[in-house]
Amino acid sequence: MGRSIKKGPFVEAHLFDKIAKAKEAKSKAPIKTWSRRSMITPDFVGLTFNVHNGKVFNPVFVTENMVGHRLGEFSLTRTFKKHGAHTAKAEAK
Amino acid sequence: MARIIGVEIPPNKRIDIALRYVYGIGPSNAKEILAAANIDPSIRAKDLTEAQLSQIVHAIQEGKYVIEGDLRREIGLNLKRMQAIKCYRGVRHLRGLPVRGQRTQTNARTRKGPRRTVGVQRNPNAKTGIH
Repeated sequence: MGRSIKKGPFVEAHLFDKIAKAKEAKSKAPIKTWSRRSMITPDFVGLTFNVHNGKVFNPVFVTENMVGHRLGEFSLTRTFKKHGAHTAKAEAK
Repeated sequence: MARIIGVEIPPNKRIDIALRYVYGIGPSNAKEILAAANIDPSIRAKDLTEAQLSQIVHAIQEGKYVIEGDLRREIGLNLKRMQAIKCYRGVRHLRGLPVRGQRTQTNARTRKGPRRTVGVQRNPNAKTGIH
């Protein structure tokens, strides 16, 4: 079930503060965050986030058509397994 | 032969059923459209008069239903957008795997297609110890 519109989009408060600060300072430095559940609002556009995937932080550069998705959707938590050798030579084939 | 919105040709069926042959019109939309056009849903499609047909077409256009090519395009664009931004759902579409969190250890054959055995491509350097 979707979230009630009345409440507005969910953005973790501490992340919101960081964004406000970054906007004020006009800094393009990536914002480190564990908050995968925060929804991307128009304020996020143009910023880079380092989103934790449980192990490492993946850089996510937010563009306009990412609005409405969650940060976590862009930082995959699983590795996609393939069979066989993955040398540079095999990949090139 | 009745034609509604271009190419749809549903013949000997009740009009409420026949309307569903239009891509983007299902049971509930068909019901709504016929109610809006004031037409008995039990009439056969071929028995409709020209006036009734145009009433239906009018109801479809008035009701702002997205159908046929427009709907297909809309769906395609949504897919493309998700794939372009590399979000989880987009990635699953790209790889042809289930998108909504279903298991993939077994089943998922609709998305994955017929079973294929994947042989191991041996690393040619394995014996010599270079990886």
